[in-house]
Amino acid sequence: MLEVRGLEVAYGDARAVADVTLTVGPGEIVALLGPNGAGKSTLLKAIAGLLRPRAGTIRWEGEDLTRLGAHRIVERGIALVAEGRRLFGGMTLEENLELGAFAPRARSGLRRSLERVYALFPVLAERRRALVRTLSGGQQQMVAVGRALMSNPRLLMLDEPSLGIAPLLVRAILDALVEINRDGAAVFLVEQNVQAALGLARRAYILEGGRIAGEGPGADLLQDAHVRRAYLGPLALGAGP
Amino acid sequence: MSVLAQQLLLGLLIGGLYGLAAAGLSLVFGVLKVLNVAHGELIMLGGYGTFWLVTLLGLDPFASLALVLPLALAGGLALYWALFGFVVRADEETRVKNSLLIGFGLALALHALAVRLWTADERAVVTPYGGAVLGVGGLSIPLVRLLSLALAFALIAALHLLLRHWRWGKAIRATAEDWQAALLAGIDVRRAYLLAFAIGTGLAGAAGTLVSIGYSISPSIGLEWTLKALIVVVLAGLGSMLGTFVSGLFLGVAEAVSAAAFGGPYREVAGLVIFVLVLVLRPRGLFGR
Amino acid sequence: MRRLGARRERGWAAAILGALALLAFLPLAVQRDDVLNFVFVTLLSITLAQSWNVVAGYAGQVNLGHAAFFGLGALTARTLWIGGTPLAPALAAGALVATAFALLIGVAAFRLRGAYFAIGTLALGEILRTTVSNVLPEISTLPTAAIATYRLSQRYYLALALAALSVVAVALLSASRLGLGMQALREDEEAAEAAGVGALRLKLTALALSTALAGLAGGLFAYYHISYYPSHAFSPSWTFDALLMTFIGGVGTLHGPVLGAVLYVFLKEYLALRWVDFHLLIFGALFVVIVLLLPGGLVQAAARARRLLAR
Repeated sequence: MLEVRGLEVAYGDARAVADVTLTVGPGEIVALLGPNGAGKSTLLKAIAGLLRPRAGTIRWEGEDLTRLGAHRIVERGIALVAEGRRLFGGMTLEENLELGAFAPRARSGLRRSLERVYALFPVLAERRRALVRTLSGGQQQMVAVGRALMSNPRLLMLDEPSLGIAPLLVRAILDALVEINRDGAAVFLVEQNVQAALGLARRAYILEGGRIAGEGPGADLLQDAHVRRAYLGPLALGAGP
Repeated sequence: MSVLAQQLLLGLLIGGLYGLAAAGLSLVFGVLKVLNVAHGELIMLGGYGTFWLVTLLGLDPFASLALVLPLALAGGLALYWALFGFVVRADEETRVKNSLLIGFGLALALHALAVRLWTADERAVVTPYGGAVLGVGGLSIPLVRLLSLALAFALIAALHLLLRHWRWGKAIRATAEDWQAALLAGIDVRRAYLLAFAIGTGLAGAAGTLVSIGYSISPSIGLEWTLKALIVVVLAGLGSMLGTFVSGLFLGVAEAVSAAAFGGPYREVAGLVIFVLVLVLRPRGLFGR
Repeated sequence: MRRLGARRERGWAAAILGALALLAFLPLAVQRDDVLNFVFVTLLSITLAQSWNVVAGYAGQVNLGHAAFFGLGALTARTLWIGGTPLAPALAAGALVATAFALLIGVAAFRLRGAYFAIGTLALGEILRTTVSNVLPEISTLPTAAIATYRLSQRYYLALALAALSVVAVALLSASRLGLGMQALREDEEAAEAAGVGALRLKLTALALSTALAGLAGGLFAYYHISYYPSHAFSPSWTFDALLMTFIGGVGTLHGPVLGAVLYVFLKEYLALRWVDFHLLIFGALFVVIVLLLPGGLVQAAARARRLLAR
C-alpha cells in the first residue's frame, strides 16, 4: 500500500506539486488525470525517488521511502515506466530487459521474468537481439513496460504509456496492464487517454496546478461533467471503441 | 619507400598506446560526464610504478603490469572517494566545470609530487631484450613495442568483453546512456560511477607501464598524454572501446605520415587537421553514436 | 534582481578602476623592482582572466585553448616589434592575428557542445604549442640595444592600461544588448535560439573580443620579457591560470576574475616564498580543496555570507 501525504516538490523556486495526499492500495488500478503541466510526471518521479520532495512523506508498506535512493525504491518493489520510455537505445532489447532485473531481489527470477515479458508481448521475443533504437515506438513502449516488470514490482507506475503510439499497440499495452494487475501488482497510471484510463481504473485522482482537485471511482469520474468537459474532448479520439 | 613504411610502422605501434590511454579517459568521460584532465598524470604515475618495481624488485617490466594494474584500480577507488565522488553530485554542466578545476589542481599537485620524488629527469625501463628487433621484409620491428601494442589491444579487448557481458559492465553502459533510466532500472548509479572511474584509472596505470617500457617517462609527460587521449576520444566518439583503439592507431599513423611529408617538427599538425575535419564533418566522432 | 545586479556591477567597475588609477602612482612611490614585477604579474593576470571570462562567463563556452591566442599575440607582437615596428601597431597586429585565428577555428569548434568544446579547444591549443616549440626551438632574446633601454615602468603602465581596458570592455559588454544575448545563450541555448538570438554569431563575437584581449595580453608578455622560448607563451598553463582565477573569483561577473587573479597571484607567490620546494604541490592541493568547499567561487561564497549576516 502506497501512502503519499502532504507531498511538495519544487524545481528551484517553482513549486510543481503542492500538498498532495493520495493512496494506492494493494492490487488496485488507480489513474492520475490532469492537464499538461499539472505536475503528474513530477509526482511520479518523486515517488520513484528521482526527485527529492521538499515536504511530505511517501510510505510504502509501512516503510518511509521519502529519503531513499531511486535504485533502492526499485528494490522495494516500485517500478516507474517514465515518460518518453527512457530506454538504453544502444543496447539490445534483451539487455534492456535484463537490466530491469538488476535489483538483487529480482535477479534470481530473471529467467522466469523474461519468459513472462515475452509471453505478455510475443512480438518482443522475435527481436531480442535488436538494438532498441531500431524498434518502432510501440515496440519500445512494450520494452519499457517489460523492463519495469523485470524488477518484479508490486506497484507499477506508468507515465503516459500510450503517448505517440499507434492505437492498436495502445490496446496491447493496456491489455497487458490488466493482466499484470491480475497477477497481483497494483498499477498507478498517468494517461492522457482519459477514457481508456478510466475504463481500467477503479479509482482516479485529478491533479490541477500541482494540487489534488478531485478523486473518485473511475466510472463516476467518467460521468462527471467537469471531467468530461476538461479531458474528454479531442483527447478521447485515440481511445477507440 | 621503406623509410616511410618504417615510420608508419612506428606510428602504428605508438598509436596502440594512444588508444589505450584514450580508453580510460573515454570510459570516465562517457559514464561520469566528468573530464579528468589529470588522466595523463595517472599514466605518468603508472610509468613510475613500473620503473620502481623493475628497479627495486627486479621484476620483468611486462610482469609488473600484474601489480600496477590492481594498484592503479585501488588508486582510482581512492581518488573517486576523495574527489570525484563529490563532483558527480552536481548537474552535468557544473560537473564538467568542477572536474576541470579539480583535474588541474590534481595534475599540478601530482606533477610537483613526481618532480619532488623522482626529479625531473627522463627515465626508461631497461630490459635485456629491450634492443631486440624483429626483421620482416626490410622492416625492423622493435620487439618491446610490438609486445606493448599486443598488450594494449588485449586490455582493450578485455574491457570490451567486460562491458558487454559482465553484469556491472552492462550497468556501466546503461548509466553512460541515461543515468536516470539506469536508476529506474534499479542500478546503483554511484557504484557504476565508482567502477568506471576505477577501471579508467587502472587502464591509465597500465598505459603508463607500457609507455615506460617502449618509450620514456618524466613527471611532465602527463599533459601530453592527456592531450593525445583527448584527441583520440574526439576522433572516436564515445561508446565504443574498439573504435577508440582503432582511432588511436589512426592518430599514430597520421602523425607518422605528417612527419614524413612535412618533416618531424610538423608531426602534430596531422592531428590538428584530422581533428578539425572530424569536428566539422562528424562531430560525434568516427565511431560515436 | 537583474537591475540590482547591474547597479552593483557598476559599483564594482568604479571601485576596480579607482584601484587601478591609484596603482598608477605606485612607481612614483615605490622604486623596488620586485614590487612592480609582482603588481605587473597581477595586472597581466587580471587581463588574461577577464579575457577568458568573456567567453566562459558571458557566452558559457569553456575555452581550453585560450593559451593559443595569448601565444599568437605574443609571437606576432614580438616578431614585429623586434623587427622594428613601433610597439602600438605591433600589439594591435598581435591582437588581430589572434582574433583572425579564433574566428577561423571558431566556426568549426562551436559545432561542439559543452565538454566537447572544452576538449576540442584544449587539443587545438596544445597542437599549436607543440608545433611552435618544434618549429621555433630557439630562445627569443631582445636585441642588445633594446635591453639597454629597457624600463620596467613602461611595461608596468602598459599592463595597467590593458587591465583597465579589459575591465571596461567587460563592463560595457555586460550592460549591452549583446551581453544580455550572450547570457541568455549561456542559460539556455535552445531557448535563446528560439527567441531569435543568433547563437553562432554571438559566440563568435564573444570569442573575437576574448581573443583580442588575450592577444593584447600576449603582446604585453612579449614586450615584458627579455628572453623566453616562443612556445612558452603557448603553454596551457596560461589557459589553466585564467580558468582557475576566473572560477575561484566567480565566473560571469565583472569583479570575480579580478578578485580571483589577485588572490591567485598572491597565494602562488606566497607559497613559493614560504615553501620553496613544495609550493606547487600545496598550491594544487589547496586548489582542489577550494573547489570542493566553494563550488561557486568567492563571489558566491560572499553572497552566501551576506545572506547569513542579513538574517
